[in-house]
Amino acid sequence: MRIRKAVVTAASPSQRRLPLQNLIDRDGRERSVLGILLEEIVQAKIEEICIVICPGDADVYAEVAGDHAGRVRFIEQDQPRGYGHAVWCARDFIGREPFLHLVSDHLHVSRDTRGCAAKIVSLAEAEECAVSAVQATREGLLTQFGAVGGQRVPGDDPLYRIDTVLEKPTPTEAEQKIIVPGLRAGSYLCFFGIHVLTPAVMDLLGEHLARAGDQRISLSSALAELPTRERYLALQLNDRRYDLGARYGLLHAQLALALNGHDRDEILSQLVELLAQRDCPANGSEQ
Amino acid sequence: MSRLAGIITASDLETRNQSLDAFCREASAEKLLAECEALERLRLERDSLYERVRSLFFLSAIHRFHLPGKPGVAEQGRVPFSGYNHLLQRRFVEAIREFLAGQKSQGPNNSISSALAAAYKGLAFQTLADQVRRSVRSVRGNQWMFRTGHPADAPLRICRVLTEREAQSGLYPVLREATPVRMDLSHSGWSDIFFLGMDYPEGARVFNTSIDLAVLGSAQAVPRPPVEASFRVIDEPLLRLVSVDLGASADITSMAEVFDYGRDYLGLLKAAIIAAGIVPPGMEGSGQSLEDLLARLTGHPGCGIEIVSRVNDIPKGSRLAVSTNLLASLISVCMRATGQIRNLSGGLEESDRRIVAARAILGEWLGGSGGGWQDSGGVWPGMKLIEGVIAQPGDVEYGISRGCLLPRHRVFPLDEITADTRRRLQESLVLVHGGMAQDVGPILEMVTEKYLLRGEAEWKARLQATRILDEIIDCLRRSDIRGVGACTQRNFDGPIQAIIPWAANHYTQQLIRAAREEFGQDFWGFWMLGGMAGGGMGFLFAPEVKPRAQRRMGEIMRAAKRSLDRAVPFAMEPVVYDFTINERGTWAELFSGSDALMPSAYYSLRVPELVRRDSRTLSPAQRRELESFGEACRREPGLAGMVHHLFDRLIPHAGATASHTSGSLETLLAAHGFDPVQHQKIRADLRGGRIGLSQNRLPISSRVEDVLPDDVIDARRPLPATLLRLGQDAISEGAVAVLSLAGGIGTRWTKGAGVVKALNPFAKLGGCHRNFVEIHLAKSRKTAALFGRPVPHVLTTSYMTHAAIHDSLTRAANYGYSGPLLLSPGRSIGLRLIPTARDLRFAWEEMPQQILDVQKQKVRDSVRAALIHWARSMGEGADYTDNLPEQCLHPVGHWYEVPNLLRNGVLKRLLDENPKLRYLMLHNIDTLGASLDPALLGLHIDSGAALTAEVIGREVEDRGGGLARIDGKVRLIEGLALPDERVEFDLSFYNSNTMWISIPRLLDIFGLSPADLGDEEKSAEAVRAVAARMPTYVTIKDVMKRWGKGQEDIYPVAQFEKLWGDMTALPDFDCRYAVVPRLRGQQLKEVAQLDGWLRDGSAAYVESLCAW
Repeated sequence: MRIRKAVVTAASPSQRRLPLQNLIDRDGRERSVLGILLEEIVQAKIEEICIVICPGDADVYAEVAGDHAGRVRFIEQDQPRGYGHAVWCARDFIGREPFLHLVSDHLHVSRDTRGCAAKIVSLAEAEECAVSAVQATREGLLTQFGAVGGQRVPGDDPLYRIDTVLEKPTPTEAEQKIIVPGLRAGSYLCFFGIHVLTPAVMDLLGEHLARAGDQRISLSSALAELPTRERYLALQLNDRRYDLGARYGLLHAQLALALNGHDRDEILSQLVELLAQRDCPANGSEQ
Repeated sequence: MSRLAGIITASDLETRNQSLDAFCREASAEKLLAECEALERLRLERDSLYERVRSLFFLSAIHRFHLPGKPGVAEQGRVPFSGYNHLLQRRFVEAIREFLAGQKSQGPNNSISSALAAAYKGLAFQTLADQVRRSVRSVRGNQWMFRTGHPADAPLRICRVLTEREAQSGLYPVLREATPVRMDLSHSGWSDIFFLGMDYPEGARVFNTSIDLAVLGSAQAVPRPPVEASFRVIDEPLLRLVSVDLGASADITSMAEVFDYGRDYLGLLKAAIIAAGIVPPGMEGSGQSLEDLLARLTGHPGCGIEIVSRVNDIPKGSRLAVSTNLLASLISVCMRATGQIRNLSGGLEESDRRIVAARAILGEWLGGSGGGWQDSGGVWPGMKLIEGVIAQPGDVEYGISRGCLLPRHRVFPLDEITADTRRRLQESLVLVHGGMAQDVGPILEMVTEKYLLRGEAEWKARLQATRILDEIIDCLRRSDIRGVGACTQRNFDGPIQAIIPWAANHYTQQLIRAAREEFGQDFWGFWMLGGMAGGGMGFLFAPEVKPRAQRRMGEIMRAAKRSLDRAVPFAMEPVVYDFTINERGTWAELFSGSDALMPSAYYSLRVPELVRRDSRTLSPAQRRELESFGEACRREPGLAGMVHHLFDRLIPHAGATASHTSGSLETLLAAHGFDPVQHQKIRADLRGGRIGLSQNRLPISSRVEDVLPDDVIDARRPLPATLLRLGQDAISEGAVAVLSLAGGIGTRWTKGAGVVKALNPFAKLGGCHRNFVEIHLAKSRKTAALFGRPVPHVLTTSYMTHAAIHDSLTRAANYGYSGPLLLSPGRSIGLRLIPTARDLRFAWEEMPQQILDVQKQKVRDSVRAALIHWARSMGEGADYTDNLPEQCLHPVGHWYEVPNLLRNGVLKRLLDENPKLRYLMLHNIDTLGASLDPALLGLHIDSGAALTAEVIGREVEDRGGGLARIDGKVRLIEGLALPDERVEFDLSFYNSNTMWISIPRLLDIFGLSPADLGDEEKSAEAVRAVAARMPTYVTIKDVMKRWGKGQEDIYPVAQFEKLWGDMTALPDFDCRYAVVPRLRGQQLKEVAQLDGWLRDGSAAYVESLCAW
């Protein structure tokens, strides 16, 4: 299985400006969030990228796409019918191929030189099935993420065969329905925001849309059905993800990028200086 | 291997179900002690809950019922105080260790065995409670709540639809859950007790039906779900809890207050909030901010939550599991609001119902109450069979107990039990509340114990109950409602009473008899609801007579109550319900816009408070809500009378009620010889700290020692024949009369309910329920028949008991007693006082106390803190007048009951009518074994003493003083006068309060001659002079205050008393002491003692003394 295409969703009306923000990346270069995302995708050897956007956003997105603008195609989500519908909008672009999928309001920072998306893509190609990146998340944050349950696949990789997917469950529901052997109590495997999905997912989304009428549909509801149709794995990553839409999300992501990159020492000393100034008495301090 | 350990560990049912009694009856003491050692090892080694608990109950029963009386077991021993202290503190393992060491050093004896029995039983129930707690916490879906200790970790969010105000009305939406209650056609011998379900899942089966209710004759004509819970967001950073039916509300702003269950009437709502995860139990003691948590939950800093509960007209003790279903309703609405249940409105999925039921069990545990696993059955729709589930690998209970904590519910479809059958059941069943609200807890403990001991008769009854359940289902499938009535009646007459005789009572039997007499063949059967009869009950009739039966049953119940209401604790007037089967279970609706209002009764409670406030301090939401409510009052016909209601609440008619109460109190005081001067002195002394609980005690310098062997005569062995003859002759010639002390009200018997204990028909003897008076008269009847001479019998009475006893004797024609029967009315009365905080602390913190299981103790501590606050706010040492007038008065101790004979002419009359009368046998009303024993009378006559007191060998439950040498003088001492509680455990003998008194010597000590008895003034002066020599004790007693619909509050009150035993301290009153068998001297103080009393042969002994 070879994965050549990627779909990025950026059509949420409340978060459509996030990918346009500028950050300093790990190499010290100023880039847009979208640019950083595209870099991550391209590192995973993806050739064609589709970004699902709100109607009318194509021009501004194209402007900030940077070096990889040539690989990008924009598709507009004409009705706000949910996350699942946004992915489904890329069905013609995808055809019957597997594809990489990322959300545009998260940044992923790998602990090593290999990008997070690249790890998932290479695993999916090796295992020839859908794979979602997941991360152990404490139960207090469960209501922000989709969560999965399943059995560990023997081997070195922290790989799980998914049997249950719940969208933003309460811990009450998660405790009853999600079992993941080996995970500490109160922790669950939650989506990291990177998936490799198969055409079967598009089929499921289509079925859900047909059933939902005018209602919104989620991607998780389709993923919840996927294990009944085909093999579906989860790879547990120890890397970091940053939700840019959260309060101070951009600042948090920027600090994480800077502290993981070339300018680490500079940022650290600036932080120390900030703290020192805050704690020093106002009188007599040097500017 | 030991035989009993073999029974416990056997896997085949036949061996496992063998009875302990059968084995122990034949076994020698030596063999039993060897078995005890084996059982002790078994309980320590095994992991299985069932094996540990059954070993413990076997051990308890062997020590309680089988070892005492066996050759080789001494009658007398000493209970180590340190072990007793461990027992009180619930350190059962340590207590057992101490008692076993005591048994080793002293040899086996009754005293140590009684202590071991109590410790093993305590540990058994503690083990069960711990396991239920562990299981409740480890149910999947509950675990996370115990890990969440900080608002930042709180994972729940209130659904957005509830956190956004509707633009036009400005009101937050209201989510309202309406839940039916449940009635059980049969619980197969209380098989819904958690432990039974977890140990014997095959036998744990309940037929349970969800019903809507209306009280017949009330304003609400159509039955509807009796409990409701409403939830909404408010624009104040607090948690507002309102119980509409209890008229209570609280604005909670701190985390600690949420966990303070006993502080007010809102404990159930708090337990629901916690069990629903809104404030997770892990937050307890965290010191975190409630405001932060509410901000996180609502997503809006400055916002909070309001939860309102309402029970529609259903009184407490209905046996319909109202409180559990209200808890479930509250939990369900909170779980819906926080997305833990997918459907915000409408019904619930099966998985949701199960988690709500699990949370309700958690809530019951948090609130310190208990219930069976079927109680939240109202959450499910219609008729269902609830069954125990065998634990499988993967279940948290697997390997620990045979069954799971949570049962399985199988809802009967309409093609199995048809709609027509359900309608016919409704047309036949008259559902009532008999008016009694009893504590079912002791019954459930008895059932658990009996299940594990496998008593032959009880086990057979359990199996029969299971078969009857199948028959009931079969009848329903065949639409045979008459058959259902026959089954439920057979269930009540057979297995239920075979397992627990106390489930039935005189009142219920009277109702059944009346129904049968009046309706004959049209009365199809009685149906006991829940744990015991007397509260919620069912009577099945032919459908054509149901309307008449509904009306008549109301009348029959009211008449029966009138005839018994001084003898049986009724909480309220009986009511008849109208009911329908609820086929949809718990159901929620979302109200928004101008419909987003709370129940109308909520506004009766809240609006007066809001109206009294400055309108500028009302929040915008409150203002809008008042506007909307005002509009609704104009619009809705159902709210038409609201203005009157509000006026009544704004300006209550307090004056009229208060003057009425105080007026009748004054009348009562005047009528019963209240001494205001003495009262004022006592009140001033109490307030000034000159008297109080700590001042009851003898000086610490007093030398308190156990008596020497020669200080007592051991009458447990046969006394010489000469004494027997002497006594027989005295009885034959009419030299002795019986004096039964019936002036007290038996506070512990009914927890301060104010009924007359002497008249309480508490047990079936000679085929029907008998009260204490009747039993004592039956003994005198037998003595009279034996000696061919009538025995004069005197019942002393007080203001509380006289009229009731007099009426009861008149109605029952002296219970057929043909001998002289006199009542000796009391001449003294006291007015209860609000206790001082100092005395309450002394009673609750310094005196040895039985600590409760952890959560119950927490609730009790919280209640006690509230009561100390109550005492302070009411005024320490002030007169207690906030209750029915009779409940504000108190008898002043049994010392006065003997001198009253001198003042009220009863002794004069006795002597006039019986010139040879020289002796009195005085005994407490609850010393049922006391009889005119000729040998003991001979002993007393022979000694020439003024008084011979009977004492018994001390066992662990005998608290309250005993026989001692105080500074060298042998005398009886009250427990509250002992300088140190540990001293009591060095005293070998306990006072039975049965005394033989020589009348001439009695008159001597009062300085009176028989001729003086007619002189009222002289007698009164003589009594006053001796009274001055008697110590006055301050005591704290519980008094019950009833309000609302069957609600009962228990308040501590201070009163004073003088006790007859202190006569033995007078140097010029010659007293002797005889040790008598326990069966003769023991007293029945609490209802919980009854089962042991029946099982250990005491009841049979009493019956052998009686002639009916």
